[in-house]
Amino acid sequence: MQVFATYTRAAVVPLVTLALVLASWQAVTVSGLFRPDQFPTMTATLQALGTALGTEALWSAVGATLQGWAIGLLLATVLAVVIGSALAANDVAFRSAASVIELFKAIPAIAILPLVILVLGSTLDMKVFLVAFGAFWPLVIQVVYGVRSIDPTVRDTARVLGVGGVRRFLTVTIPSASPYMATGLRIASASALILSVVAELVGGAEGIGRAILFARNAGVTSYPTMYAYILVSGLLGIVLTGAFFLVEKRAMHWHESQRNAKDNELGAR
Amino acid sequence: MTTATTGSTAAGRDGGSPGSASAGGAGVGDAVAVAVTDVPSTQVTATPGRRAAGRRNRGRNLLLALWLPVVLLVGWWFLSANSTSPYFPPLQVILQSVWDEWVIGDAKTQLWPSLRHLALGFIGGSLLGVLGGALLWRLPVLRKGTNPIVYFLYVLPAPALLPAMIALFGLGEARQVALIAFGATWPALLNTLDGMRGIDQVKFDTARAMKFSSLRTVTAVVLPGASPQIAAGLRASLQVSIILMVVSEMIAASEGIGYFILYAQTVFAIVTMWSGIVVLSVLGTLLNYLFVFAEHRLLGWYHGSRAVGTDKA
Amino acid sequence: MTQTLGAHAAGATPAGPPVLDVAGLRKVFNVGRPDERMAIDDVTFDVVKGEFVCIVGPSGAGKTTLLRCISGLSAPTRGTVQFEGTALTEVPDQLGVVFQDYGRSLFPWFTNGSNIALPLKARGVGREERTKRVNEVLTEVGLGHVEKQYPWQLSGGMQQRVAIARTLSYKPDLLLMDEPFASVDAQTRFDLEDLILEVREEAGITVVLVTHDIDEAIYLSDRIVVLSGSPSKVREIVTVPLGRDRDQVATRSSEEFLELRRHLLSLVMPH
Repeated sequence: MQVFATYTRAAVVPLVTLALVLASWQAVTVSGLFRPDQFPTMTATLQALGTALGTEALWSAVGATLQGWAIGLLLATVLAVVIGSALAANDVAFRSAASVIELFKAIPAIAILPLVILVLGSTLDMKVFLVAFGAFWPLVIQVVYGVRSIDPTVRDTARVLGVGGVRRFLTVTIPSASPYMATGLRIASASALILSVVAELVGGAEGIGRAILFARNAGVTSYPTMYAYILVSGLLGIVLTGAFFLVEKRAMHWHESQRNAKDNELGAR
Repeated sequence: MTTATTGSTAAGRDGGSPGSASAGGAGVGDAVAVAVTDVPSTQVTATPGRRAAGRRNRGRNLLLALWLPVVLLVGWWFLSANSTSPYFPPLQVILQSVWDEWVIGDAKTQLWPSLRHLALGFIGGSLLGVLGGALLWRLPVLRKGTNPIVYFLYVLPAPALLPAMIALFGLGEARQVALIAFGATWPALLNTLDGMRGIDQVKFDTARAMKFSSLRTVTAVVLPGASPQIAAGLRASLQVSIILMVVSEMIAASEGIGYFILYAQTVFAIVTMWSGIVVLSVLGTLLNYLFVFAEHRLLGWYHGSRAVGTDKA
Repeated sequence: MTQTLGAHAAGATPAGPPVLDVAGLRKVFNVGRPDERMAIDDVTFDVVKGEFVCIVGPSGAGKTTLLRCISGLSAPTRGTVQFEGTALTEVPDQLGVVFQDYGRSLFPWFTNGSNIALPLKARGVGREERTKRVNEVLTEVGLGHVEKQYPWQLSGGMQQRVAIARTLSYKPDLLLMDEPFASVDAQTRFDLEDLILEVREEAGITVVLVTHDIDEAIYLSDRIVVLSGSPSKVREIVTVPLGRDRDQVATRSSEEFLELRRHLLSLVMPH
């Protein structure tokens, strides 16, 4: 019974808050505190969201954003794992490259956007390049630190068991470094979504960012649609972060952090 | 039996001197690599020798850290020297333009509005975030209630809000500052909350046992305890702030470095655009390093005790 | 492949050719640098087939360094290490090492079964044979069906058993153990000592075990290599004439045991 009560409260409190937020949204817009050309009513926005969810335009925009995010992130990950592991294997290479990587990591990726637009145009390639560039540097640094932090006992164990070459890389090096890589991926994934949207807003590549801008340019009547699209971009963020969370939970179930999380979960009940 | 490729170098380099672990910011690997050997305590007498070796290692590491950036710059200089590509002008021409436009010319006036918006937005957003995080930490009901909304706003790609901000605040400065502040709030807020929740209960018990006032508990336990993660959150906030500063100048503004670069691009003033990219890169890098420097000064105790911190942002 | 996995005759004749031959081994770290440091000065001993040899010495005597040298994990500065007649350059396939820290040596991302199967995979053993072998060694070390569980779900003693099973899975000729029982409680320690004696008896395996515990060394070994402090040299090689049948209570309280104990203590204790 008590378990049931706890669950109900856990679900009810956020729902009540959500209802409150939606209600105050409606209140401030209907009362005229915000004009419709500033902030459309909650009902109009949700209605527009309902309509938009049925249109192909929205889904192709979402698809295009996801495509840029996924290809860019994948490219950055593959490059970061290959280059990062190679750098980590050699002390001189690592110390030489570290400064360059830190430098590029500190450069805001958006600085090169106008150049990338110029060279590649308003294309998927442009978006992918920007995303990959922004995601690569934080990722590669995590890969390097992850591989370098491998427990010497783990490394020795692999050697004495006769596990070498590609097998060692896949069964020992990568799992050992994976907590670092997961942190890197979490950061990279968030910045990849931001950069995708930026590439669409500024660079005019197809996607949810461009759709939002177009809706604004279409005038006051399509403002509810604009806000609906913004909500969609937030939902996209939730879906991506949530998916990442689930994958990490499955792939890293053996790691202390996940084990502890499980204990806490059980302890909380 | 294939011989190992990864990691074998470090393992073969038996017992790299424990003194060498101190060099550079890359504490992670070093700290562990040393633990492998069996260090006889009776031989630790060779301290002066070790210190000399440490000094020499520092020199070597500094050299290693510097040569590649220098080679890359020199390579860029010479490889681009005869470039006829319209997109990639010679580095010399770019640097000349940086000098003409930004040092001698008045392009630098573009920096002030950018930096003003950034400072106002980042500081405002960070304050909101830290205070909000502390509030949510103290009020569990509020935390549970707002959790989905806070999370939604955190994962929402902030640049998507730009058109809405224009609708809400018009084209002026308020919009730019508001957007930056909005983006800066959430990483600061969530990291503050996480950091404060992560403080060991024993520390609070100790504070109570010593009869600390609540103010004292905050200044002596809560803030120092959560500060490493607050700092990590602020660093993430700063990065988002820089992106938002540039985006909002690129989309709808008539001043600022983002406007300068994109305007130069649209009128095909490629060299001018490059000069802006160089200045923006340097600016972003400087701000990042400035932050890291300040963090190390303020949180020296923490970095000393941990030697490594993983970002959580 | 299969012939290297063949079983060995139980029992050994101490007169056979040495499995391990360590001659004039010296190990210096950071050679030619201001922080140069000699860990091992001069160590010579051999181990014949089927023998159980313990290496003891005061703490800081470079025991682990010595073990790393004789396993091929690190190269000696001077002297030679021969395993089955060939000088070591890498860790030989027919050599097994068990580390003290099972918590770090077992891979937490693999199940116990996968941990044990890993060296077999690396040696190209087929799937069916692997599964069979995993079950065999788990029984051998007195564990039931834990192959689907993860190492961190087991107690410390059980984890060390899994680590031993993993090493035994590929039937090494020589088993090197670095303080393997130092991180478990006393009762588990006795159990594991008896386990390793049993395994040695059944598989006819040769064992070299590093320990700082003199009682453990006497209880387990046929011979004990006593090292001096750092940089280490061989102080004495003590033969343990206690026969093959050993018992935690009877052996440890026997007059010969106590006599050996007194002698070894006098060697290890500073004068």
